[in-house]
Amino acid sequence: MSLTAAFYIVLSAIITNNYVLSKFLGICPFLGVSKKLDNAMGMSVAVIIVMVIATAVTWPIQTYLLDKKGIGYMQTIVFILVIAALVQMIEIFLKKYIPSLHKALGIYLPLITTNCAVLGVCVLNIDNEYNFLQSILNAFGSGVGFTLAMFLFAGVRSKIETNDYPEAFKGIASTLVAASITSLCFLGFSGMLEKIFGM
Amino acid sequence: MKKNKLQILTNGIIKENPVLVLVLGTCPTLAISTQAINGIGMGACVIVVLTCSNIIISALKRIIPDTVRIPCYITVIATFVTIVQLVLKAYAPSLDKALGVYIPLIVVNCIILGRAEAFANKNSVIDSALDGIGMGLGYTLTATVMACIRELLGSGTLFGAPVTANLFSPFTILIMAPGGFFVFGCLIALVNRITKGKVKDKRANKCIGCPGAEFCSDVNKEGGCDNK
Amino acid sequence: MADKHTNLIVSSAPHVCNPADTATIMRDVVIALIPALAVAIYVFGFRALLMTAVCAAACVFFEWAVRKIMGRENTIGDWSAVVTGVILAFNLPVNMPIWMAVIGCFIAIVVVKQIFGGLGQNFANPAIVGRIALFIGFATPMTTWAVTEKMSQAIINNAGVDAVTGATPLAMLNAGAAELPSNLEMFLGTINGSMGEISACALLIGGIYLVVRKVISPAIPVSFIATVAVLAAVMGYDPIFQVCAGGVMLGAIFMATDYVTSPITTKGRIIFGIGCGIFTMLIRAFASYPEGVSFAILLMNILTPHIDSITRSKLNGVPKKGGAEK
Repeated sequence: MSLTAAFYIVLSAIITNNYVLSKFLGICPFLGVSKKLDNAMGMSVAVIIVMVIATAVTWPIQTYLLDKKGIGYMQTIVFILVIAALVQMIEIFLKKYIPSLHKALGIYLPLITTNCAVLGVCVLNIDNEYNFLQSILNAFGSGVGFTLAMFLFAGVRSKIETNDYPEAFKGIASTLVAASITSLCFLGFSGMLEKIFGM
Repeated sequence: MKKNKLQILTNGIIKENPVLVLVLGTCPTLAISTQAINGIGMGACVIVVLTCSNIIISALKRIIPDTVRIPCYITVIATFVTIVQLVLKAYAPSLDKALGVYIPLIVVNCIILGRAEAFANKNSVIDSALDGIGMGLGYTLTATVMACIRELLGSGTLFGAPVTANLFSPFTILIMAPGGFFVFGCLIALVNRITKGKVKDKRANKCIGCPGAEFCSDVNKEGGCDNK
Repeated sequence: MADKHTNLIVSSAPHVCNPADTATIMRDVVIALIPALAVAIYVFGFRALLMTAVCAAACVFFEWAVRKIMGRENTIGDWSAVVTGVILAFNLPVNMPIWMAVIGCFIAIVVVKQIFGGLGQNFANPAIVGRIALFIGFATPMTTWAVTEKMSQAIINNAGVDAVTGATPLAMLNAGAAELPSNLEMFLGTINGSMGEISACALLIGGIYLVVRKVISPAIPVSFIATVAVLAAVMGYDPIFQVCAGGVMLGAIFMATDYVTSPITTKGRIIFGIGCGIFTMLIRAFASYPEGVSFAILLMNILTPHIDSITRSKLNGVPKKGGAEK
């Protein structure tokens, strides 16, 4: 795989196929944890780490175990359990060896098991028939894309937090409208990567 | 507090509508609601998975040890999701294609895990089944209504048949990502308006639909996560 | 509203304040938009005036109606809805169906502004979002550009078989057209495009008026336009053509300078302007859309809270941690 192809996978996962703002994966933490920038960034870092590790583990399982044994249909069950176990192990590992990082990311880790973006990226890597390296790059790009969306939206929310909303739009409803406007600006970049990388 | 059977069934459709009131299962709803038929298809899958997993979890509630209950629930749910996945692949390949990755993602749909945790492990099998059907219907109804709005205005069709498409040009942005967020926001605002904020407290406790409301300690302290 | 006896009231600092209120500022903006409107009417004919009037009226109506429904104070007296309507109209092709333009007004006033609580509480510029939503939602009418006999010969020659519609200069450049309008024609505005965008000259006159009246600071327009010019030169385009084409002038002078959605400090505004310029040129050069001004400004609107938080001036005499933090 050439370097340009690698860049293309990463950048398209960040910009044009942004997981949150165009594929609607990971909406729950996007809405729930974006109120403060610190929390949003903590969650995002945790998501990047888990996405990459989960892909690194699930891709070989699918390719060398499930597909070889002809039980590819077990994908969903195996993947979700692997991710759940993985998150637990990462948490235990961090607690024991890097307590400072655990302190920073600890509260976000349990939330990630049910973050559909993580399971989504593992399944989509298989569906798209990416090879191992492509899968890792896609997972990394998707995580960074999640981070970018969180970063942008945390800023927006800090600005509109104290607004005097109409009664019906208080809370989640206005947050969704804000997300709608935020996702608009990502549409402007469509076609850009294809042109830059000549895909 | 004992509720009668009918109440359990209708609870999920209106009063505790999982999508609009509890704000759970946002991702698939937003993603698939571009066509009315997808709303019904996804809804049917959710009804099946939710009802079956509620029944099993309720039946096993004395056997499953409390400390490992979440992994057990996930395994049960994932099993039914896999069954649904295989059935769709065999009998409704076009729907399977349209819903794509969002079928396996039913596993992490917080409605299902949320109901297992909040209802099925405390109630009888029959009640749990009714709760599953009711919540599933509530989900289906919302997803379909939202999909109808987006399909009608965004592509001028309804269930694939042209309605206004030939009269004036549809506002295609509604079937794209920003339209999804916007229509969803408006529906929630409508529910707020109708219920006059009576359901607000319930929602605040749910961490605005945070996926790990069950596990989370205090990510979003203000207004939430003291649930249960 | 102003109390006649304010000068007798004991109040805390600041005591010196500017008599300018929102309505005065917004009226100045409307005045500054008149030259561009005049050029639009000259080039496109009566329909340009009609579109502008309809958009302004629709915005005022929506502002009034939605405030009424919400049971809030009527705010149409602050003229901000008029400004939004006129600027939105300037962003549309002259032959856009009226009902589509009204939808754009609805999005600008109701969705972007009033849902978030009204003037001063929106995080994105209403006219920009209205334009982008229409642009994506009604792609064909939003990119059907009228050609009239007042326009540059290059555009008339390039017009489609029907001779009434044709590509904008930017689209012609993208398509590699043999002949482009001259830079003088680009500057004066005898070209096609969105109604109010065409004449760089008229927009510049309006911009200078606003700067002289101290309604806007020149930081954003200058840094925006300069960035576009520099990047154009670096990428091998003609800087004057790129600056005069499309929405750069209208965007830089009238939309990027919106008080509510742009940074507070001069340093922040320069960053904002440079960002707008960079994204505009990136989209023009590489994305599937020929024009990127509105997307660039929206993106920078969204980044504004972050720009503000890094450029906010530090308070003197306050401990580093704590005090200055929010």
